[in-house]
Amino acid sequence: MEKHPSFEVLAPYLPKYPKAAGALFQTYNDLKLAQQWTDIEIIDLPECSRCGLRGRRPNTDDVLSVVPCVISESLSTDWIRTTFQELGSPPHLYLAINTEDSSIVYYKISPGIVKPPL
Amino acid sequence: MSLIGPSRHQNGQKSGARRAENNRIYAHPLPLVFSTPCSSFAASLLSLLGFSAARLENPHCEGIYDPATRSVWVTNEKDSTLLWRRGFFGKGDLSRSEPSWLARQVNARKAAGKYMTSEEMRENRRAERKQFKLDRAAAIARAAAEAEAAFAEGREAAPAVIPSGATWKPSSSEASTLPAPPEEEDDEGPDADDAEPEEEPLENIEHLQLTLQEAWFLVWNLDCLTVLDPHTNEPLTLQQIWRAFQDVHCVPPSLSIYANRIDNPFLVNYAAYHYYRALGWVVKGGIKFCVDYLLYKRGPVFHHAEFAIVVIPVYEDPADQESSPFSLPNVNTFSWTWLSTVNRVNSQVQKTLILTYVTIPARSRISPELLSSPACLTHYSVRDVVLRRFVPARMRD
Repeated sequence: MEKHPSFEVLAPYLPKYPKAAGALFQTYNDLKLAQQWTDIEIIDLPECSRCGLRGRRPNTDDVLSVVPCVISESLSTDWIRTTFQELGSPPHLYLAINTEDSSIVYYKISPGIVKPPL
Repeated sequence: MSLIGPSRHQNGQKSGARRAENNRIYAHPLPLVFSTPCSSFAASLLSLLGFSAARLENPHCEGIYDPATRSVWVTNEKDSTLLWRRGFFGKGDLSRSEPSWLARQVNARKAAGKYMTSEEMRENRRAERKQFKLDRAAAIARAAAEAEAAFAEGREAAPAVIPSGATWKPSSSEASTLPAPPEEEDDEGPDADDAEPEEEPLENIEHLQLTLQEAWFLVWNLDCLTVLDPHTNEPLTLQQIWRAFQDVHCVPPSLSIYANRIDNPFLVNYAAYHYYRALGWVVKGGIKFCVDYLLYKRGPVFHHAEFAIVVIPVYEDPADQESSPFSLPNVNTFSWTWLSTVNRVNSQVQKTLILTYVTIPARSRISPELLSSPACLTHYSVRDVVLRRFVPARMRD
């Protein structure tokens, strides 16, 4: 992992939360290199014991928040509520669920009921 | 031709040429290949006596163990292509399945998009589906407004025409049925550099990521993978790999509660993985369908997965469950709603749900010596139960 070009950017954050290090690394690479997000910044979320990511999708202006986690973790609604608070109450956030074969499944979570767009 | 509607081909989506190409490229189900020497007198004589002159070709691939992501990375392009093409092992970490990140970047730069990778076809399909949903919503709104107006005037409303997935046609005339890329496009990095001198050369930073189960299968059963230590770059011995793959679930590994545990998540998942791989199925991860594994008959490029596997560990000795430091998923009795949800998700995509019960032997029967080698795997037993939803009113046969 140390030889990967993304390691320098993530080096200060990975040792801080070792359990979420793999998830952060995979999510960061997926967003930056595969999905081609721009202006990615890493946000420290101490209450959730991990780091979150914020960035823009290609050709859009909205800043979206992504929180990486591992499939083997169990989360609670309290945890989700804390994450929303720590991120500064964004309208929605994306939960990036990472697996060992590097598949990432993104779930969009909103605080409250949201009507589907179509 | 809409990408989201039914295909014009009767038997599957692919043309004969594409299928022949796939059969040629993905001909070998495992990385080990038997090569028969060209026919000679000695070879024919041997075959008469019942001996085979075939040689076993072992590609000897190399991978690096990464504990943070609990996987083995194959960074060498030749090895990663080989492991994918012979048995569909691993997944490109920046791609849907096959490592195609470099090809996508090259396509994006050339901007001609003559050949599309599966990710690009997926994007086209998603854009079409979005357009279809907009058209359908507009049609529904129009029909509702028309019905309102007709009711107010006291006349019959004109019959509404709402597009469905089968009848909708894309309105734009842009051709979205570009042919899928031929496999030789994968290693086009150096050629792209010559074509675009003003842009910086593309380095392939994608690797093939093998799960610990896949890596152990290749290392132990086929002996075609060498796993390197991430810090020293030295090859790990079989014992070290066996220990390391289990210790990744023990944080920190030296604690006594982790000693002599037969219910390590790596072992339980490996028992199920080995069971299906040994039967000839291609086993891939199933997170996209809320399950643990997907079974493919020949591979993802041939047909969609027919079966979805949920691994349910069962303890032979309930006391082991009480003392377990691992929180294995699905070990407690599951609820009817959970089962119903997973079955629904999979029936929507025409997959059959299989519950795979892995029985973990009692700790009292397993000695520490047995645990130090893969021989302990013989004590696991695997049973599968196929689930199908039955509606008595509709299913009469």
